[in-house]
Amino acid sequence: PKNRKPFIPQRKTPLRASSNVFDQARERLHVSATPDSLPCREEEFQSIYSFVEGKILSGTGGCMYISGVPGTGKTATVMEVLSNLRSCVDDGNLEVFKYVEINGMRLTEPHQAYVQILKQLKDMKATPEHASQLLTKHFDQRGKKTTVLLVDELDLLWTKKQDVMYHIFDWPSHRHARLVVVAIANTMDLPERIMMNRVSSRLGLTRLSFLPYNFRQLQAIVSSRLSGLDAFDSDAIQLVSRKVAAVSGDARRCLDICRRAVEIAAREKRKNKNIQTVGIEHVHEALQEMFASPMVMFIRNCSTQEKLFLRATVSEFRRSGLEEATVGQILQHHVTLAKLDNLPPATVTSLIKVCNQLAASHVLLMEMGRHDLYARVRLNVSIDDVLFALNADS
Amino acid sequence: MSKMDKTLLENAKSIIKERLCKSGYSHNVRADIDIAALDLGNLLQRTVEFGESNSVLVVGAKGSGKSTLINRVLEDIHNDSKNAKNLLIVKLNGYLQTDDRIALAEITRQLKLENTIGDKVFGSFAETLAFLLEALRSGDMSKSQPIIIILEEFDLFAQHKNQTLLYNLFDIAQAGTTPLAVIGITCRLDVMELLEKRVKSRFSHRQIYICNPSTLENYVQQFTDVLLLDKAFGKTAKHKAFVKKWNSHVENLTKNSSVLEILHKQFNYCKEASPLHQILFLPVCSLSQEHQEITPADIAESSQLIFNDSKANILHGVSVLELCLIIAMSHLTNIYEGEPFNFQMVYNEFLKFSQKKSHILQNYTKPVVLKAFEHLIELELLKTKDHFMTHSGKLQKEYRPMILLVDHSQLREAVAKYPGCPTDVKQWAESSIV
Repeated sequence: PKNRKPFIPQRKTPLRASSNVFDQARERLHVSATPDSLPCREEEFQSIYSFVEGKILSGTGGCMYISGVPGTGKTATVMEVLSNLRSCVDDGNLEVFKYVEINGMRLTEPHQAYVQILKQLKDMKATPEHASQLLTKHFDQRGKKTTVLLVDELDLLWTKKQDVMYHIFDWPSHRHARLVVVAIANTMDLPERIMMNRVSSRLGLTRLSFLPYNFRQLQAIVSSRLSGLDAFDSDAIQLVSRKVAAVSGDARRCLDICRRAVEIAAREKRKNKNIQTVGIEHVHEALQEMFASPMVMFIRNCSTQEKLFLRATVSEFRRSGLEEATVGQILQHHVTLAKLDNLPPATVTSLIKVCNQLAASHVLLMEMGRHDLYARVRLNVSIDDVLFALNADS
Repeated sequence: MSKMDKTLLENAKSIIKERLCKSGYSHNVRADIDIAALDLGNLLQRTVEFGESNSVLVVGAKGSGKSTLINRVLEDIHNDSKNAKNLLIVKLNGYLQTDDRIALAEITRQLKLENTIGDKVFGSFAETLAFLLEALRSGDMSKSQPIIIILEEFDLFAQHKNQTLLYNLFDIAQAGTTPLAVIGITCRLDVMELLEKRVKSRFSHRQIYICNPSTLENYVQQFTDVLLLDKAFGKTAKHKAFVKKWNSHVENLTKNSSVLEILHKQFNYCKEASPLHQILFLPVCSLSQEHQEITPADIAESSQLIFNDSKANILHGVSVLELCLIIAMSHLTNIYEGEPFNFQMVYNEFLKFSQKKSHILQNYTKPVVLKAFEHLIELELLKTKDHFMTHSGKLQKEYRPMILLVDHSQLREAVAKYPGCPTDVKQWAESSIV
């Protein structure tokens, strides 16, 4: 079964069609439902398009480096460029080109990049070393079509000798290669930071950085996805966009929160028929869920002895003025505090058990190993948070 | 006592034992996590029915019923005959799939993809990844079977190299190809900080926290629920009579003040149900023809076992000489405020005591005392101080700096309970003045 295509079995019963407004909104807000044209990325689209088109038309090769934080539409924009170029080819306005795509994260190790490129280019299987030789030979041959190579998550192709990166950026400079490389990564200064001079000089200076979306752009993205569907209050969209833009400017995050808000609204609708659209209160709840820190809630729901242990930890920190203490030191405070609260005396073993329970949830960070009473303990939350959580219920 | 009653009791015993032991048993679902179950159930249902891909993390303390919750939600989906046919479930555990290679092989095996024959997976690591990704990416949102991937001990998966597996699973969940629901289960509250930026961006940030806001009444209710027998036990008159008798006995048991006191104490330590099951296990196992009911004394006894101080227990088993050495070390630790000591110091302290005050411990030679000291090291009642650990091989063992791992309170209790402890040793333990 060497050449058989792997597949996931077909489903037995058909998909349920979405019936109401909320279901449709959820479908459109899913990150996978990429629109035909991305709003707010027109400039970047234009510069990538003209770069790739120019190289194809002139029959030369070149490199382009695209950077930006996750969720700013880098890969989606490049995909859009390619689909537009393909439709140009179909119209006969452009010469036919080959398209090869690799992603650093989908490779088990950097040298597998050669194998993947060769497989997509020529449908051949080879070991990494052999594949690299074959590819070099291929790019030295004359008279072939232009190849567009998209390298996503470029930083993962880093090796000690940097041979993979070197080859990828070196091939376009071969005389007959006709290779256009579009490399995508997160950090702007990646070429200067991790690449050797001879690699970064081959990468060249054609660079483009995607800025995080600001709130107007996020608002436009959500509105364009929901156009023609009366599911969201405009104020609700604005709230989400402002919150997300303030933190990261990640469009995926924005869409996920909107989708969660739709779910909350749908849940409310079952109780109260009057709800027609997703309002500000639903969005607020979704934002709370996704941005809230669980630590305070967790501490509030701890058992009495666990709370007492945290209190003892804080008082030991206050006594010593350090941010670290051994279990033995904290236990002494614990015993005193337990007496103060008139709790029955606790054995050392059960208190260490309590400490371990807290350490398993990483509210406390505890030194690993068999240190017993001398294991060092730190708080993973700020002291203020602990006190806030402990005092809120007393 | 008839023979029938005996089998009835054995049946009841095995039913209750099953409830106590089987982790993830859906009988053990807490009443108050219904909201979480509803949320997760809706999410999975949308994956199965609408082909919508999702990712979610279930976070909660150890023993708070995370796996139980998921088992129950899956059970509900399985009971729905229309959805059950459409579903592929893959279960992974961070302790078993310790790296991506094993995890990928396990996924293709559980999905029964083409590169598997029987239980074997063929192809190298890189091939398996390429194969799996191609299979998942060539799927169609509306035509392929939905897959539910459950990652237990999610935080361990986040420690794999580059987080390749998580990136790819989350990426596919966002790509709109094969419908995929990724459910991570973890007890670490700070799990989000473990994720790499690009992995984090692809995760939907939906987290379900399972907290335990229960009260003592709920806790007692859980205790009763585990023990009570229901109608499913049997339908004959004899069965019914037995159930009635047993249940009324259980009700009486939970009204007993000493039982309630034990439960309250346990509740103060840990709100989760697993220690409760531990306490009950021993009394249930000791049910027999002669001993047909769980008495409050049984429960007191087994909870005593749980609350025992392990160090004090070890100290009851050491010899008088060893006990004397520990007292000497405890005094040294007190006098020098936690500074480490070595064997010579302990020996000197011991000599002071044995020569001046004691009348029975005079004639131990130094090698015998050293042997006793080494025995205590083996019991891990004392250990080498950390930063000397690396040099410890070079240092002579008499001069190695040591620290004592016994708390003063433990020592005091052990001396008080030590069988036949000489009076002068007792006095020495009380005061360090010789």
